[in-house]
Amino acid sequence: MTKLVVVSAGLSVPSSTRLLGDRLAAATAAHTGAEVRVIEVRDLAVEVAHNLTSGFPGPALAAALDAVTEADGLIVVTPVFSASYSGLFKSFFDVLGARDQDALAGKPVLIAATGGTARHSLVLDHALRPLFAYLRAVVVPTGVYAASEDWGAEGLPERVERAAGELAALLPTAAGRPDAALPPEAAGRPGAERPGAAERPAPPAARRAEPDGFTVVPFEEQLAALRG
Amino acid sequence: MQFGIFSVGDVTPDPTTGRTPTERERIKAMVAIALKAEEVGLDVFATGEHHNPPFVPSSPTTMLGYIAARTERLVLSTSTTLITTNDPVKIAEDFAMLQQLADGRVDLMMGRGNTGPVYPWFGKDIRQGINLAIENYALLHRLWREEVVDWEGRFRTPLQGFTSTPRPLDGVPPFVWHGSIRSPEIAEQAAYYGDGFFHNNIFWPADHTKRMIELYRNRWAHYGHGAPEQAIVGLGGQVFMRKNSQDAVREFRPYFDNAPVYGHGPSLEDFTAQTPLTVGSPQQVIEKTLSFRDYAGDYQRQLFLMDHAGLPLKTVLEQLDILGEEVVPVLREEFAKNRPANVPDAPTHASLLAARDQDGTTENSEEEVSTV
Repeated sequence: MTKLVVVSAGLSVPSSTRLLGDRLAAATAAHTGAEVRVIEVRDLAVEVAHNLTSGFPGPALAAALDAVTEADGLIVVTPVFSASYSGLFKSFFDVLGARDQDALAGKPVLIAATGGTARHSLVLDHALRPLFAYLRAVVVPTGVYAASEDWGAEGLPERVERAAGELAALLPTAAGRPDAALPPEAAGRPGAERPGAAERPAPPAARRAEPDGFTVVPFEEQLAALRG
Repeated sequence: MQFGIFSVGDVTPDPTTGRTPTERERIKAMVAIALKAEEVGLDVFATGEHHNPPFVPSSPTTMLGYIAARTERLVLSTSTTLITTNDPVKIAEDFAMLQQLADGRVDLMMGRGNTGPVYPWFGKDIRQGINLAIENYALLHRLWREEVVDWEGRFRTPLQGFTSTPRPLDGVPPFVWHGSIRSPEIAEQAAYYGDGFFHNNIFWPADHTKRMIELYRNRWAHYGHGAPEQAIVGLGGQVFMRKNSQDAVREFRPYFDNAPVYGHGPSLEDFTAQTPLTVGSPQQVIEKTLSFRDYAGDYQRQLFLMDHAGLPLKTVLEQLDILGEEVVPVLREEFAKNRPANVPDAPTHASLLAARDQDGTTENSEEEVSTV
């Protein structure tokens, strides 16, 4: 089954960041039937900090990093702190990247953020998008920003739906390729009619030859490459 | 099976007194610790190599040569020798000299180093770390096995008609371990040459160590050096002991809490649960160390980190007494139980010499493979 993971970095309980993550996940799952798992980074805050000093994740963080690495698609949601993603949100992806720099390579990611005012909405494009581009994720064109006022205004459901459709188009389906079973009303998403959509880079798991999870380049090839 | 200690050589303030030893005190302390290791019946002393404060051991063969002159049995090794930033020609010369002086009681462990600026300080590019390790070791391997070497590579000036002197003792190069914590390329390199693989697991959970060692063992077998269980594996360990475990915890906690590597991070309790660190009674150390075999298989060398985080020399020497008297004898006995007959001991100069003489003078085919 398609695995969709939500990484939510909200700090309060209940949290509007989590609420936005849930809305996006539900809309995406409606297209794909994906199995959704939510990671509350707040619950991992201490292990994230320890990972920064000790160099390895504790058990709960390791399980979360595995879930993210193995996901078919990601929805990431952060509150805006000091004009950017929260430090905890960034630290989570810092330890993920330190553990496996290819963890997000080729992985479809929907970026989202929440804030007190709409004035910070470009955080999606000046902070989150470059971060996930660096991690070599495939970031869908529509990011979703929800200011407090958006929860009582028009427009948010449409943006959620458009972004979810774009993400769903990149997720594998039961037919074995992205988008095969999508309803026509989800059209307008990039990738839906694009012939190359099914040829996106394989997720990291598919590139690993050794059963123990390591990629091994035979030594002769490594030596030969130096002599070439 | 070999038991020993490895030292980082850090100069760290004692958090309980605030006092920082001088470099001279720390260097002499490392020597005293090495001599103590032999006195209490340990087999190996290994020193790190660093080129920045707060570390003192920038010149391992100088220190090991001095220790060699004052010991009889101890095997002198490194943890690690920087195969990336040192000139492989100088490594070949220095360690052959040490091996001659020490009557063969020398091996060494290759490592890439984890201090970024050391690469530019020595004129190298850290992005080439793996490639430097591969090319430099390929050259070192030849310098110890071929009288006259013609060589051309990417990272070093070419050699024409070069003979590294002195030659290895009895024509038998020192045994080489390759140390790596997370790079499968290095496990692959160790397996390719039939060299040892040392996983310094002291800051890592068991499942990671297990995967790295399995990779090395499988690739060792792939290259025809023997069965996977015959590969030469070394592991780290880190312990602090007192007769009563509560005393050990109470005494070690300030050192743990302020340690340079993991201080101000996870709790002592979490860290001992998740890594090989054991703080407790000698019996607890024995049980934890024996458990390494559950995920690493029967292995050849166990090195303990005993002298870091500002522990005073007197305390370290007491720890070595406990290690040598109460822990290692039991570990030797227990590790020997149910050890399959085909699992070899760690190679020594004597065993390598005997194996060479048994095989006639034929070295294996690696020479041709590694010829440029």
